This record gives sequence, structure tokens and C-alpha cells, in this order.
Amino acid sequence: MVMKAVKGVLLTCDAAVKQILLVMNEAQSFIIEDLDDFHLLIKQDEEDRIRRQLETELEKNTYSLD
Amino acid sequence: MSHLSLLLDLQPAAWHDPTQSLQFSTFLAHILVFLNAHLAQKHENSLAIFGAFPGKSIMLYSSIDQTKPADRRVQPDPNWYQPFKTLDAALTERIREEMPQPSTSSEAEELPVALVGALAKALCCKIIQATKVEAPSDTPVVMPESRILIVSVSPDAAASYIPLMNSIFSAQKLKVVIDVCKIYGPDTTFLQQAAYLTGGSYIRVEKHESLLQYLMMCFLQPPSVRSLLAVPTTDRVDFRAACFCHKDIIDAGYVCSVCLSSGSDCF
Amino acid sequence: MWRSAFAEPSMPKDPETAGQQDAPHTLIPFLQSQSQTALTRLYTRPSSCLAIFRLLGPIERQIVMSLLWLEGPIASQTLNGWVTKEGRKPYGTALDTLSKIQILPNPGTRMLLNPNFKASFRMALTGGGDLNSFGVPYVSSKEKDAERDGAGDKKFGPNSEHLDSYALERWETILHYMVSSGTDSTPQRPSAGVLYLLQRSGLMQPLPSPSGYSTASSRKTSQLQISSLGFQFLLHTPHEQLWELLLQYLKMVEERQMDLVEVLNFLFMLSTMDLGREYSPDNLTQTQLVMLEDLRDYGLIWQRKSSSKRFSPTRLATTLTSSTPLLPSSGGGNTGPQGFIILETNYRLYAYTDNPLQIAVLNLFVHLKSRYPNLVVGSITRDSVRKALNNGIRADQIISYLVTHAHPQMRRNNPLLPVTVQDQIRLWELEKNRLKSADGYLYTNFAAQADYQVVLDYAKQIGVVLWENSVKRCFFASAEGHSNIRGFIERRSKDEQM
Repeated sequence: MVMKAVKGVLLTCDAAVKQILLVMNEAQSFIIEDLDDFHLLIKQDEEDRIRRQLETELEKNTYSLD
Repeated sequence: MSHLSLLLDLQPAAWHDPTQSLQFSTFLAHILVFLNAHLAQKHENSLAIFGAFPGKSIMLYSSIDQTKPADRRVQPDPNWYQPFKTLDAALTERIREEMPQPSTSSEAEELPVALVGALAKALCCKIIQATKVEAPSDTPVVMPESRILIVSVSPDAAASYIPLMNSIFSAQKLKVVIDVCKIYGPDTTFLQQAAYLTGGSYIRVEKHESLLQYLMMCFLQPPSVRSLLAVPTTDRVDFRAACFCHKDIIDAGYVCSVCLSSGSDCF
Repeated sequence: MWRSAFAEPSMPKDPETAGQQDAPHTLIPFLQSQSQTALTRLYTRPSSCLAIFRLLGPIERQIVMSLLWLEGPIASQTLNGWVTKEGRKPYGTALDTLSKIQILPNPGTRMLLNPNFKASFRMALTGGGDLNSFGVPYVSSKEKDAERDGAGDKKFGPNSEHLDSYALERWETILHYMVSSGTDSTPQRPSAGVLYLLQRSGLMQPLPSPSGYSTASSRKTSQLQISSLGFQFLLHTPHEQLWELLLQYLKMVEERQMDLVEVLNFLFMLSTMDLGREYSPDNLTQTQLVMLEDLRDYGLIWQRKSSSKRFSPTRLATTLTSSTPLLPSSGGGNTGPQGFIILETNYRLYAYTDNPLQIAVLNLFVHLKSRYPNLVVGSITRDSVRKALNNGIRADQIISYLVTHAHPQMRRNNPLLPVTVQDQIRLWELEKNRLKSADGYLYTNFAAQADYQVVLDYAKQIGVVLWENSVKRCFFASAEGHSNIRGFIERRSKDEQM
């Protein structure tokens, strides 16, 4: 049987978050494979960094009254 | 939590009859174990005991009214749960004080026992309890399930039909279940009706030596459990009423179209 | 994906009635896991039997009572006849519970209570025996003389108000320590034993220093921080909290080389004692004397001095087997079990309380703005909720806390909490979870569709597939399934070669 198994982390997200991730990927590559609109396969050791970076990115887009 | 009011029919004539198979002391021992079992069910369970004597009714014990300093005087016993001991000591003493001696006066004995008076007192206690609980806040509070167990040894007193019916109606309104445990004497029509109308059970104890088992299996569970573990109920209930004029139990009679009171021929 | 947040807001369940009737007491599963010999030993003491009996459900209690005064066994059909149609299922579970805790072994054929249990429980109801299982009252030599002289007992030890305030103070110290951990305030620390218990039960965890590595100094002071479990704990009623801690205590018993049966006996004995009375520790075993000290720290027992030759149980101890906690409300104010929180649609929150513990709990997820003698005003903001979420607190927990402690005025509203606020709290939680991740392997580049299908079917069978795409002929399976899948593929490849 011919096949391949790739170790990694499956990210499940919405379309908007995926676009942000794709932009982030251009600065520093971490995506192994773009699976579909809501799923990405990324390198295992990058997950924490991605989460932190995404958090700051999303915070830029929230506004509060005070 | 559940509240039990126990009404003891303490007719001296019936209890001091030496021909009966159940002695009063044995009876009292069984009742005390039953009451302890009720208190054992839950920490919050409460209890009130009323005695119906010839011509008078007395509250013998109440677990709600703990203000009496007398309770404290009971010496603690390391081998017995304190509330049980308090109850047993207090109840035995009160009954000894109040129980008239059979030989003292023959007049008093001829009076019928004031069962209805005791029943009315039990219902009043329930109302007082309800108002006490509701007073502090405007939110509805879960009321304790309440029931009344009547241990009866004397026959129907026809004169008490109307006050008894009134008590039954107020019990219905208060959602109090009335159970009847008949030990001696003929079946009483009125108490059968009381049990039937309030959803309780009327049970005649055939074997007096196993009174405790009857009490445990039929009268211990609060009404909420009875929908799951059935209790025998009487299917033959004598629905005859007492007439308004002579207080006789009648099969057929006249009914006043205004007040619905029933009467016999002379009505 | 987050459309679900707009689904109809869950109807607030009445916190008083929900679950309390049906769920068995937390101690029952623990008893079920004990050995038969331990349980039999436990059942030799009347006070333990009485306490365990009270922890059982109503149907179980009725079954026990029906069988208690029978001498011989009865056929199970006899009792089955009493069960109504609706009662079948609860009756079955009740029998199961009773047989698991060895009170009613083999209920299938003939019903006979455990002989030890039967004898002791009868003794509990009728009195007698000489096991002193309900505690030996303390009688000082002076009192003994006084009794002989016929004088009344004047000295009654601490009165119940004093015991209540002591128990409350102890208990709130523990809760207050938990809730203000991780904040700047430094509340009074409970004793080392309590701290160890909190850590062991997972309610608190060692504080990770913000830089990610623990410095020597932080390890030395062993800073503890409340965990997600701990917050859930704070939302429970005091009675549930107490049992949760005691259960943890029981689980630690064996490590400490203590005899579990003696520990349980002592707890049950306390639960049947009389509030406001002093007892003598003379009849206690060595294990129980150690416990005396532990339970003093938790506020279950009061002693004048640690060396004192007498002790009094507090209300925390005497109401152990009751379902409603009778501990008077905290902070002196009569807020009690009644709610004190008013929440408006504009996210403002008014809490009518002056209790530092309640304020500290609110501070976990509310941005508090001003404080008056009996009122705290704050608002629920995105930041305050996010702070709570980052601490591992869930949106549902916040909402259920608000529901449980809603002011009686709020109870007229239907739904109880403003829907906007409820939904927004849930949305803030979803916002935090926009990215889900799972470790595993992507299986790809299958040469033949048949191979792909067979491997995929196998992976689905063991339930590890997280994502699949048949067009691209690849699927993603979680890491746990990898060794199985690899083994499966190797076996198939070998078969093909042969």
C-alpha cells in the first residue's frame, strides 16, 4: 500500500481566522497543508506562537467604550 | 423535609381493657420506634403529637417548639441519638401525666374522645408553621410535606360528623394527607371518608403483634414517595353521611337545596 | 459555528429543586468503592448506620425501613408488588445502590438486610448497647458535684451563636483564601493542612510565574492559585463544598496510614451530636484524635485550647447529613441563601452585600466600580469576562452563579437574567475559542481509492477521525489512533505481498 502519514496539528477555525493565519504564514511559514476552508495542518511546535500572535491580531479589531 | 402530626386516640376504656391482645405499654413502644424512624428519615423532619382524651385534646409533644428549657434537662446518653431520647422521654412522661386512671371517674369516660379537637389543633399548627415560613421573604418557599396519622381505637361519634367534615375540607385545602390506622373497634365511616378525601390510606391492623411492621410499611413514607411505592388503600369506603337533625348515619335522606345539609325523615 | 449562541437561552432551572432530589449523595459512590469488610465494620456502629441511612434517597430509606423489623428474609416478589408502574425504574436503582453498599446484599432473590446493619440500626432507633457511638458528653468534676447536690447545669460550654460564628469564620477563611489567590490582596492563610487539602483536591494549583518558569522564591512560598475546578467549587452551596472537601480528606486517609472506618465513624458520630454540648475525647482512638485537629481547622469542631480535654461540634458538623445547610449567612448581614444580585440589560450589576467573600467572588468576573456600606456596583465587561475565561472559568458557570444568587426582585423576570447579557457572555467565550486544535497525523497520498477507503473505515471504527476529504483522498486522525492505524496498514501491506 502506498500512502504517507504527516505528523502535525489540525486547526479548525472560521474563514476569517483562516485568512489571518494565511497572512501570518507569509511572514513566517508554519502551514504544512491547506486542507479546506475551515481546516489547516500546521507544524506541531508552532501552535503556541500562532495562538499568541492571533490573539494580538484579533485584539486590534476590538473596541471598548472606556 | 416532611412534617408528621400524630393523633393518638387515648380512650382509657379501650386501653385498659385486659382482654385486648395489645397492651398499652407495648403499643407505646411501637409508636415510639415509629416516631424515631420518622425523625431518622431526614435531619429536617419535624413532628407533633396530639392526644385525644375523653372530652379534651392536648398537644403532647412538638419538635418544632424547641424553646422549652425542659428538653435540655434530659441527660445525654452516649448510646442514643439525642433527639430520639428527648422525644421518648418527653412523650412517655406527658402521657403518664395526662392519661386518666380507669377507676377515677366513670362520667369522664363516657364522653367520646375529642378526636376532632385534636385534628383541628394539628391543622392549626400546620397553618402557624406555614405563616412562619412565609413571613421573612416574598418568594415562595418550599413547604414541608405534611400529613396526619390518626391512630384510632374508639368508634364513630355521630355528633362530630360536621366538625370532622369541616376539618377534612381544610386539610384538603392545606394539602395535608390524613392516614388512619385502626387498631380496635368497628370500622369508622367518618375516618374512612377522611382518608379517602385527602388521599391518605385507611388501614385496619389485624395482627396486633405486628403493629410496628404495619406502621413502617404503610405510614412511614411521605406522600411524594407513595406515587412510587404504593400503599394499600381501601376501595370500599362507606360514604354515608350523618343527618343534620339527629346525627344518625343514614342511607337515604333529604338534602337542603340551599345549604346542602342532609336530613332524615323528619327534616 | 457560533450561530448556536443565539439559540434560545436556556431556561433558568430552579436551583433549589434541580438535581437535588435525584442525584445520590456524593458520599454514596465513595462507600460503594469500599471493600465489604470495611463496610461491615462501619455498620457495627449505630451512629454510622443512622448517618448513612439519612444520606440515602427516599425510596432506599423506605426499603430499609420496610425490611428492618422483619426477622427472616422475604421473597423479592413480595416487595415488588408494592412498586407502582412509575416507580419501577427508581426502585431498581434504589435496590442497586443498596446492594452496592452492602446494606441489602443479593436483592434479586430474597431480601435480607445486612445483619450488622440491621442490628445496629435497630439499636440506633431504640437506644441501648454500650458502643458510645453517639459521643460521650463531657462532664467536669465540678459539674458532677453540682449534679449530686441537685443544682442545675449552669456551665454549658460555648453557646450555639458562638459556635456558628466560629465555624463561619473558619470556613470563610478557606473560601476567601481561594478566591483572592492570584490577586494582590493577602488574606489570612488557612493552616498548612487545609492548604495541602486544597492543592490535593485540585481546587488550587501552584501558581505558575508569569514569565513561564518558576523562580526559586515563588516555589519557596508555594503560592497557590485557584483552578477552574476551584471556581466551580465556589459556586456550590456550602453543604456541597463541605462534602467535597471531606471526600478529598477521605481519599487521603490511606496515604496517611489512617483507618478509613474510624475516620468515617468519627464523621458520622459528629453528625449525630448535639449542637452546643461539649463532648469528651477520652473514648476516641488515636486516628480520631488526629482528625480532631484537622476538623478544627475546617471549622467542624470547636475547642477552647488545642490541649483542651473537651470539644464541641459546630453546626457544620451537626448538619452533615441534612440536605439544607443551616449555617447562618455570612458577614453578619441577613442576605442568607436569598440572592443579592441585580443585573440589568445594560450590563450593570448591583450586589446588595457587604460580605468580603461574595465581593471577592464577584470580582472574578465583574468590573467593580464603587462600593457602599451595603451595596457594590459594577458592570460586566468584555475584559472582566475574558479575565475570568483566561482563569479557566466557563461562561455557563458565571451564568449559573448569577442565576443562583439573583435578588428576589429579579425572580419576577422571565427569563431571569437579561437575554442580551447571557448571550454576550457566551459569545465572549466562543470568541476566545475561535481556533480549535488537535494533535495527530494526516494520512494522505493514497495510491488507490480502495486502500483509502479501507483505512478510513478502520479509523472511523476506532473513532479517531477528525477530518476527511475523499476528493483529495486524505484524512486526519488524532494522535491516540496512530499506532493502531499504522499496525493496520502494515498488516494489510503484508497480506498484499503474500
